[in-house]
Amino acid sequence: MNTFLSLLRKELIDAIRDKRSVMAGLYYAIFTPILISGLFMVMIDKLSSIEDFQLTIVNAEQAPDLIAHLNRQGISHSDDSAERLAIKLIIGSEYSRQMTRAEPADVILRADTSTDGVMTSVRRIQRALQQYSEEMSGIRLIARGINPQVVRPINLQLQNQATVESKGGVFIGMMVLLILLAVFIAGMNLAIDTSAGERERHSLALLLSHPIGLRELVMAKVCAVSTFGMAGLIAAVSVSKIIYPMVPWQKLGFSIDIGLPFILAAVLISVPVAALAASMQLYVSFMAKSFKEAQTYITFVMFIPVTLSYTVTLDIATEQLRWAPVTGQLQALIDLMKDQATPLLPLVSSCLATFAICVVLVLGMERLLKSEKIIFGL
Amino acid sequence: MIAVSNLYKNIGHVQALKDVSFDAADGQITGLLGPNGAGKTTCLRTIFGLLTPDSGAATINGIDVALHPVAAKRELGLFPDPFGVYERLTPREYIQYFAELSGMPKQTAASATSQVIADLQLSEIADRRCKGFSQGQRMKTALAQAIVHRPKNIILDEPTSGLDVMSTRLLRDILRQLRDQGHCILFSSHVMQEVASLCDRVVVMANGKIKAVGSPSQLCRQTDKDSLEEAFISLIGSDEGIAA
Repeated sequence: MNTFLSLLRKELIDAIRDKRSVMAGLYYAIFTPILISGLFMVMIDKLSSIEDFQLTIVNAEQAPDLIAHLNRQGISHSDDSAERLAIKLIIGSEYSRQMTRAEPADVILRADTSTDGVMTSVRRIQRALQQYSEEMSGIRLIARGINPQVVRPINLQLQNQATVESKGGVFIGMMVLLILLAVFIAGMNLAIDTSAGERERHSLALLLSHPIGLRELVMAKVCAVSTFGMAGLIAAVSVSKIIYPMVPWQKLGFSIDIGLPFILAAVLISVPVAALAASMQLYVSFMAKSFKEAQTYITFVMFIPVTLSYTVTLDIATEQLRWAPVTGQLQALIDLMKDQATPLLPLVSSCLATFAICVVLVLGMERLLKSEKIIFGL
Repeated sequence: MIAVSNLYKNIGHVQALKDVSFDAADGQITGLLGPNGAGKTTCLRTIFGLLTPDSGAATINGIDVALHPVAAKRELGLFPDPFGVYERLTPREYIQYFAELSGMPKQTAASATSQVIADLQLSEIADRRCKGFSQGQRMKTALAQAIVHRPKNIILDEPTSGLDVMSTRLLRDILRQLRDQGHCILFSSHVMQEVASLCDRVVVMANGKIKAVGSPSQLCRQTDKDSLEEAFISLIGSDEGIAA
């Protein structure tokens, strides 16, 4: 135990003095929430404000009533090619006559929908035209003494049960994912430095020549890297707590509040994930022949949890992934953030599975460190 | 007491050790002398348990390194080649760290560290971080680590390479002191002068084999030469890879 503490203390002192390791962890933890908030602010602005737009309307004189309807919806004609969209609304030359005779009146909408942003505008014009069309048919039916209700066989009522929090599901999922990923990123540099780096600096052989158990050595390194991962997580969650409420979520109809219970739960639930991240990163770095090679391998390792987590965020096989490492903890945290109850059994099993993988990796590292090839990087 | 018997070791296709047997007694300085590539480092690495021999055994104070690595290493101080110092630690932290790893309680380790810093005249740099140290300063730091816990057996792999004259003299004095205190010292070198002036016993190695064992004067008598250098050349058949 004393040896373990000596090892751990040295690893932490050495790591804290390594500015590169510390900064690498902090950069992510601090700047990701800030960056993402900025991104969301712009996105929300775009999503929530329906902008007026201009287009070319040909033969407008044929349909003054329709044009007035479009104008009320913020859709109008412009002669200035700079400010109008590349959409053309052509009123048929027979429009006025067709309307009076109650024949279908020709309106042509011409646009290239592969151009960025055009599709949304086309849909808006379509909706506006549809609305106008329904109004007209209603008036015509009344004029013929028929209740317009007869052409509405179905009365669809949309009852949105989304709560304020659940509405922001995708956003919340992404935010929690970014917080949890801090665990993987904050310890990454240290993991390489303390394994591949230690060998490259020729201190690994000296260390292994001392009367210490390999398990103590491996555990000390896993603990040191996990500690860094957890520090990164705490930093990320703290910065998130300050930054995310500044984003105008209410415009999308929900709010985000990172309270103390969430922070505590996040810290607790992330411990197994941090241990897993540390042991995976250390394992591949020990296998690598050099610092550079370790950096390459570690990027591949990052793929696994990132892919799994995105699967959750994108709602694929969500229920099954509750039982799996990383995704289980991620979903529990998402539930917590949404104020929903999380099923305990899958979470516990996911944590146990995570620890089980750690144990396998630690045993694997002990094996590696008995190999001459690994010790001397042959 | 360090003893190796019938060590064989292949590294890749190279037969690095071929039937190597010798021992290093307590209260003596034993030099492992041989040209570059003779197998000295391989032999030492086998003794401190980083390499597993294909056959044969190494024992430290009678404890088989392969069977009881932790117990055997407790009896050992080590100065490897190449050695690494932790650049972000100070020599004091570095030395104390290894003292604790060698099994010393924290308090004892701290006082032993202060003692060895004084012995090796390291006080001036003891609390500066190792980054930017000269080769000599690094060397002394690594050496302090090897002897801080006063191990009964001390193995040094090429300890003088890169040291200036003053540091080399200091190292020699320390090794002699340790010998006089009854420690068993085994060191490898390819520098003839060093071995001649320091060793009570010389193990001559070339091409992975032991060529001769004896005191410098015995080796001279055995080969009928006046100097150890001449004796050495006649023993291994060439002076390639050896520094005078």
